[in-house]
Amino acid sequence: MLQNISKLFRNCGHRFLLPKFPMSTLESIESNPLDSELVPPSSSLAKSQNFKRKLEFMPPNMEPKQAWLENLNTTDEEKISILELHPQVFGSMPRIDVIHKNVRWQTLYGRMDLRQAASRAELPGGGRKPWPQKGLGRARHGSNRSPLFYNGGKAHGPRAPKSYFYMLPYDLRVLGLTTTLSVKLAQDDLHIVESLDIPTDDQQYIEELVQARMWGPSVLFVDEQDVMPENITKATENTRHFNLMPAYGLNVFSMLKHDTLVLTLAALNRIEHQLLLNIHRNKNGKHQFRYMPSHH
Amino acid sequence: MAVNRNVVDRALAVLRALPRVSLYNIRDHDHRKKKSARGQHGGGTHGHGKKFRQNYLPLGFESGNTPFHLRFGMEKYYKRYRLEREYPPVSLLMLQKMIDTNRLDTTQPIDLSSICNTGVYSMNINFNHHGVNLTDEEGFDQFCAKINIEVQWASEGAIAAIERNGGVITTSYYDPLCLHAVTDPARFFLRGDPIPKRMIPPEDAIEYYSSADNRGYLADPEKVSLARLALAQKYGYELPKIEDDPDYTMLTMRKDPRQIFYGLEPGWVVSLKDKAILKPKDKELLEYYRT
Repeated sequence: MLQNISKLFRNCGHRFLLPKFPMSTLESIESNPLDSELVPPSSSLAKSQNFKRKLEFMPPNMEPKQAWLENLNTTDEEKISILELHPQVFGSMPRIDVIHKNVRWQTLYGRMDLRQAASRAELPGGGRKPWPQKGLGRARHGSNRSPLFYNGGKAHGPRAPKSYFYMLPYDLRVLGLTTTLSVKLAQDDLHIVESLDIPTDDQQYIEELVQARMWGPSVLFVDEQDVMPENITKATENTRHFNLMPAYGLNVFSMLKHDTLVLTLAALNRIEHQLLLNIHRNKNGKHQFRYMPSHH
Repeated sequence: MAVNRNVVDRALAVLRALPRVSLYNIRDHDHRKKKSARGQHGGGTHGHGKKFRQNYLPLGFESGNTPFHLRFGMEKYYKRYRLEREYPPVSLLMLQKMIDTNRLDTTQPIDLSSICNTGVYSMNINFNHHGVNLTDEEGFDQFCAKINIEVQWASEGAIAAIERNGGVITTSYYDPLCLHAVTDPARFFLRGDPIPKRMIPPEDAIEYYSSADNRGYLADPEKVSLARLALAQKYGYELPKIEDDPDYTMLTMRKDPRQIFYGLEPGWVVSLKDKAILKPKDKELLEYYRT
């Protein structure tokens, strides 16, 4: 599996030529980014009691993932508390192939190919035999619009309309979301904030904030509901690289397109709850016909 | 899919040192189909041979003489077998596993709906499956749960195993129309149809379901308690007293012969959207559903 990941990054560019990973190197890489950051007792860890999250569907031997709860009301980040995240959502196997499947599905399922090449029947003329069958020493033909002819019809050309619609299996879509969230957390591209309330509606504020915190050029802010606070809506209105999204709009393509993913606490709770429900739902087999058009 | 946690954590650790996963550096596995080799420039006849075109003769044709498969008459051994009712089995071991993995709640009566809702048992009404056949092939010695269970067929050993642990077992019949409601209650309630009333078993099943030895739902309760005693003596266990059991009310819960769901009568309409139950008031309807 590790070899698979390294194969996928083969053509990334000279800066990231992948060395072979001996076991000793791997062991020295900390799996949990917060292990080395010892939280001083004088910090606002006292407030962490208010943010203690109850994780559903947790077997006793499973270790939760951890992330900082940050704020948005100052340019520089303030770490408010440590949050525990469910490992099946934020620490699942990074399935690059499943991510690719999801991205391919998202880009393809709405595609409609309306190209049409005229066949020999659709071109004008072509009904008369161009020259007699015998006697001329020429090849025999029945129509001057046959595919053999210059300006003739296309035999097997594109025939509109052609739909590329297909539904990726439900479980693969759920897995795509959990895997992408895990990848985002592992690569330090996931940040959790209390809410999307900011002090001003100035675009400059968000730009300075993102720059100061070294978040990626593009940021996706995800809140639980689709009505966002006024200030952040105005601040991000004219930027195409800072985007606001409700939790129900979370998708693999958007998470990959934006470098940084910022979730509010409410969005985190909703997303984790929904994904866990769907991971642990009763797979009766009767769900296999859910996406046939007649059932809608 | 259960992947070792250590492997997952190591894979995520490797990702920390790698470039950011983006739309431009992801790849799927190679799913390419192998194209069949066709020969140079398409192969001329494209694999269809030179002189002989698609002259497909009928399968089994023997160039004129009566073919082997038509020489002899057919003996239809299984002609009426498709009409026979089938009861896909659930062994006592399977039942115990369902209980141990919290797929079945032993504090409530267990019926066909509960067993279908576990997701572990499957039956197909189109194949003439009429419900659960509780067998004692596996798990007779291991079964140790006290339950109130209602199945469609039960072997003597299965009945003994249930009653030995202080439980109650009943066999009952659901006609195919009711089975659609019972096997997938959620889907049935989404339809918004009135709950159907159960029909009496067909001729060849009435004897089974009226017999106390089979704990039939149409049997005389007194004969059933005698049969319980007899079975305990036969298998050599002491029959626990249900009357002294704290779960007495749960264990003695039984459906009316016309009833499909506990707590719901035939004729009622369950509206999931309005979260309400609609009951018929018309005299004719009431008479139809209550008889």
